[in-house]
Amino acid sequence: MTRYFLAASCAALIAAAPALAHYGMIIPDDPMISQEDGRSVALTMSFSHPFELDGMVLDRPVAFSVTHEGRTTDLLGGLQDATVMQDKGYTLDYPLERPGTYVFAMEPQPYWEPAEDAFIIHYTKTYVTAYGDDEGWDTELGLKTEIVPLSKPFGLWEHNVFQGIVKLDGAPVPYAEVEVEFFNDGAGATVPDELMITQTVKADANGVFTYAPPSHGWWGFAALNTADYTLPQEGADKAVELGAVIWVHFEDWTGQ
Amino acid sequence: MIRALAVLALAVVAPTGVAAHQLVVFASVDCEAVTVEVKFSNGRIAQKGDVRVLDGENSLLMTLPLGRDGTARVPLDRVDHSGGLVIEVGTGSHDNYWIVTPEDIAQKCGS
Repeated sequence: MTRYFLAASCAALIAAAPALAHYGMIIPDDPMISQEDGRSVALTMSFSHPFELDGMVLDRPVAFSVTHEGRTTDLLGGLQDATVMQDKGYTLDYPLERPGTYVFAMEPQPYWEPAEDAFIIHYTKTYVTAYGDDEGWDTELGLKTEIVPLSKPFGLWEHNVFQGIVKLDGAPVPYAEVEVEFFNDGAGATVPDELMITQTVKADANGVFTYAPPSHGWWGFAALNTADYTLPQEGADKAVELGAVIWVHFEDWTGQ
Repeated sequence: MIRALAVLALAVVAPTGVAAHQLVVFASVDCEAVTVEVKFSNGRIAQKGDVRVLDGENSLLMTLPLGRDGTARVPLDRVDHSGGLVIEVGTGSHDNYWIVTPEDIAQKCGS
């Protein structure tokens, strides 16, 4: 009886509070826009558990911008309210005037997560290349924290490795922990164990991490660090989790 | 329209084999002219080449040399651009194209 009760209690607790990873998301309709695709890119912004397709509220971000050829443009005013994964998100159609790499970046408002007794701020970015020109694919934006790509963050085959440097305040983070999760949109991926929903790799002493995904699709990389400041919540100072998030699309291998 | 012109362009521009770096051709419109910019995918400016301008019916309208700065200028009043333009660029070992659609021109000319 006691054993049954404990098992049932544990199952209920696990079901109620699984350790799901949070991800800020900027997902374009296509990470490589050719001239045949048109002259713009359609972006969808959200905050979610991407494997479970479980949306959370993304309040209007603090900042949303695009950087192209070294120039950063504020796009915050252009965000359109949208429902993404049954929750509050945004969309934006952005005209691509010239070739090159466009880096879209979002700084969300601090998200209070009671289950973790902490705030979460995920600095999120996605790289889009236009018209066959990939110049700028390794652009570093100088965000509070970010993953600077060492592999081109687009145009990768499935099973290729993606490498990046985790930076915080502009400096590499030795042995940073990087969570990796698949955007399970329409893919129907399942896991043999909840541990497989979010995979984790560590950076090396230079802050460099490596990951090879098992399939094509969008994969999110989130390097997590704790801020050197706190934020108030109901009269108490609470820790702030800073996430450096980058979304990378891997292409379906077409060979034999 | 873009896709239709692309099919035409693909038929016109036969691939010349895979090169280690590709030619990147881009053209912008300012209502008076089409400005063609050409560089290699490694960022290096293409300094020599031929620019061929075709209309939407695949007829050659003009050929002009690529400048040493990797650009060429096609005055709109010298070509029939009503059906769009296909800008082909060949450097000898590399070639590529850019499609200027009627919508591209209309947007820039405010019509």
